[in-house]
Amino acid sequence: MNMVAGQVQKSATHGASCATQEPLLEIRDLRIEFRGKDETVVAVPNLSLSVMRGESYGLVGESGCGKSTTAMAILGYLGRTGTVASGSIRFDGQELVGASPRELRQVRGRHIAMVYQDPMSALNPVRPIGAQLAEVPRLHLDVGKAEALEMARAMLHDVRLPDAGDMLKRYPHQLSGGQQQRVVIAMALLARPSLLLLDEPTTGLDVTVEAAVLDLITELRHRYQTSLLFISHNLGLIAESCDRLGIMYSGELVEEGATAEVFRRPRHPYTQGLIACIPDVGSDKHSRSLAAIPGHIPLPQERPQGCLFGPRCDDFIAGLCDQPDLQRDEAGPGHLVKCVRWREISRHAEKPNTQVHQSDRTQEAIQLHEVTKLYGAKGGRSLKANEAVTFNAKEAEIVALVGESGCGKSTLARIVTGLDRATSGEIRMADKNIAELQADERPKQLLQSVQMIFQNPDSTLNPSHSAAFSIRRSLIKFGLRKGKAAVDQRVRELLEMVRLSPHLAERKPDQLSGGQKQRIAIARAFAADPSLIVADEPVSALDVSVQAAVVTLLLDIQQVKKTTMLFISHDLALVRHVADRVVVMYLGKVMEQGTVEEVFSGSSHPYTQALLSSIRGTDPDRPKPPHIQLSGEMPSPVDVPTGCRFATRCHRKLGGICDQEAPPLRRLSATHEILCHIESADLQVDAVLVAAPEKNSGEPAND
Amino acid sequence: MALESTVPLMTTAKRPARAKWRRILRSKTALIGLFLVSFWVVVAALAPILPLQSPTEPDVMAMANPFPSAAHWLGVDILGRDILARLIFGARTVLLVAPLSVAVAMAVGIAMGMVAGYYGGWVDTLISRFSDIILAFPVLVLYVVLIANIGPSIINIVIATTIASAPGIGRITRGLVLGLKQQEYVAAAKLRAENTLYIMLVELLPNCRGMLIVDACLRIGYTIITIGILGFLGLGLPPPNPDWGGMVKESTTVLNVWPFMSVEPSIAIVSLVLGFNLLADGLREAWKP
Repeated sequence: MNMVAGQVQKSATHGASCATQEPLLEIRDLRIEFRGKDETVVAVPNLSLSVMRGESYGLVGESGCGKSTTAMAILGYLGRTGTVASGSIRFDGQELVGASPRELRQVRGRHIAMVYQDPMSALNPVRPIGAQLAEVPRLHLDVGKAEALEMARAMLHDVRLPDAGDMLKRYPHQLSGGQQQRVVIAMALLARPSLLLLDEPTTGLDVTVEAAVLDLITELRHRYQTSLLFISHNLGLIAESCDRLGIMYSGELVEEGATAEVFRRPRHPYTQGLIACIPDVGSDKHSRSLAAIPGHIPLPQERPQGCLFGPRCDDFIAGLCDQPDLQRDEAGPGHLVKCVRWREISRHAEKPNTQVHQSDRTQEAIQLHEVTKLYGAKGGRSLKANEAVTFNAKEAEIVALVGESGCGKSTLARIVTGLDRATSGEIRMADKNIAELQADERPKQLLQSVQMIFQNPDSTLNPSHSAAFSIRRSLIKFGLRKGKAAVDQRVRELLEMVRLSPHLAERKPDQLSGGQKQRIAIARAFAADPSLIVADEPVSALDVSVQAAVVTLLLDIQQVKKTTMLFISHDLALVRHVADRVVVMYLGKVMEQGTVEEVFSGSSHPYTQALLSSIRGTDPDRPKPPHIQLSGEMPSPVDVPTGCRFATRCHRKLGGICDQEAPPLRRLSATHEILCHIESADLQVDAVLVAAPEKNSGEPAND
Repeated sequence: MALESTVPLMTTAKRPARAKWRRILRSKTALIGLFLVSFWVVVAALAPILPLQSPTEPDVMAMANPFPSAAHWLGVDILGRDILARLIFGARTVLLVAPLSVAVAMAVGIAMGMVAGYYGGWVDTLISRFSDIILAFPVLVLYVVLIANIGPSIINIVIATTIASAPGIGRITRGLVLGLKQQEYVAAAKLRAENTLYIMLVELLPNCRGMLIVDACLRIGYTIITIGILGFLGLGLPPPNPDWGGMVKESTTVLNVWPFMSVEPSIAIVSLVLGFNLLADGLREAWKP
């Protein structure tokens, strides 16, 4: 059957010819409900979409929009409370809604396979991966044990897991996150399914690993002629890897069409808003401000009548947009829009941001000199979290610390704020060395001048206390306001500053959305009137539309208050948008630092180049530079490579010198420093190659 | 608030404390537990004004036929005292001693666990090893040794239970604190110059509340059993105070003739312990995140 499907698929891979074919997966008028004891939540009110044979369909939406629920419904895994209330899901001509558990079992794994977001929980921790992989062909293809193991080995080779022989005997915890996800993908593909469901398959991975996993998925998809249903909140990923896409909002498809068409001419105001709120490499805070979508996705219980996006839409017209039974309209061939006003509304012109001024002060706000942090590890060895980190930040400047997980950027943040102690080195603020002072040893005045915005909205506020509790305590502890009335007045001002209604002050954190909690955290940090704020991935846990709003807010306040900020992030497009200067870290060491323009100009460190090449844009007309595929994974910080730290993965490695000798610090300008053996002039030359689209042909080197 | 995990149930966006209480009251388990416990609490509280006979004065006439009758609903014991009255007055001691012991044990245990979990390092090692030693002791032997040496009285029972249960409570608290102290709101508190005691009591303790209340409920149940056992071993409250465990013991000699004399106080113990256990289960359900 699969062979037939494959041949049919060959004749009609993409585009219009699909329309004449029977879709592989057809969802029609699907309604999914979760029935609890006392209320019924309609997760998906009405959804129709189809995936053609050999097609890659992207389902985009923010958290809570019902995209994962849809995937679960396709597999018939809605749990005890979930049911498909009406509608149909047809796969390859077979109806899946109401199918018996036996029929479903035959389809799952064999014909439809799924790759989940978190590979660690998708793999059984107590069994070696070989046994888990071999299970699939033994169950679905009815082959013997030896043959199944052989197939597992071959598939591991296909997902480019090095050293496949010994790999089969390893346990999931012995693999890195990227390797685990490759195993999960291998497992999904073993039965040669005709449809692969990918639910945020790269969300937990670092950008360079993500690039490799995505390229792998694209390649395998073509090799095995598998259709994809790719679920993600990341528009850039979808733009790159899908033929068609559907934009989902609060359980409904608001727009659907060919990927290039939708990104070139987004018709629905929500799609337009989503595209406008992603920072892209081509712009910075001086050229445009991120357009945020006001409000938040309605909870299933509070969906408005008519257009679900209505309450957040600038072009909402009462009496027109709030009519029930809105129909999807055809805006072009295969381009469907669920908006009655799509003809009238045009994409809002990006407004240039004129308010932002470059920091003109020259006074250094904080100077880090050779800051090193060692943690004791087993066997007397030490883990180098930071080594000789040196950089400065001027007053009112935003310095971004960039790098993948494990590069030591968060440790550095903890040292600067006093939550941890540096092993050696100096951090000078107002002529004092604060590197070895922990929070409880710091004078109050110093504590007050360095505040922090944390990463996780779910743990930044104490669930037992009201939202304003910590803001209030901060005002009291630092003696900024005296008396209850003055404190309350200030709390109200701060909440207004972060554009929250003052009546949220007494809410408990579990009654606030992620974006609201992060705004409270910002208000708390600014409540102390600090001169330096350390923001550790302040928006990485938020949805894209909320992210834009929070970043814009943070930048606005920072501009007004002239606060220096260390902005920690792994998102380079965001950093490009936010920062004045960038410090790129790898394995605890600074690889490159310079102004935003310098770092993003292309004449940069090979690692920075790899990071830059992993940024995904949504503009179909902009040429995409090829991904730089880094080999392997980041080495353990206990076993730091001698010589250049990046040598084990570098795509531009010169040879033995990189492995043996520590690279020199090259000054390209007064502000731009690169730690690399490659001559400055050569770094420059190669930058042109990076910018020019050059297809990465064949098997990329990966161990 | 996101409704897209694999097993989404009701959204938890709005669940103030009142809703939590409503959930407790809706759970059958919790309701039965609450009923059993409040029955005993009410009866014990009203004991002096209930039309009961004296729990200590024997009714010599009834001794000829001690079985339950119109005059003595649950019969009389071997000394002719009214069992119903003794049970109800006995409940007063149990309901005073058990919660009091647990409260003291909780205070000591929470302090131990909080300090061990928050500071870690050698402080943690010291407290944890000390706890391990106590926990390794057979609890009953520990009680008997303690009470036999310091003599039976309410205070001494409280001291004995505290020594026996504080390490267990400490372990639970330590485990909770180990996780909670990594939370970003604790870091935020440090950055606004809060002192350690404040962080422990205001930032950490309220978030341990759910687990600790459930544990306290279970512990009250166990302590009631322990008090019963101590009474049975003759280490309970000195006579003639009515003591459930003591009542069981006094009538063991006549168990094959008048079994009700032992069975009735046993049922009292079972019902009260069951009440606390069911209540704990119900609370656990309601506090589930």
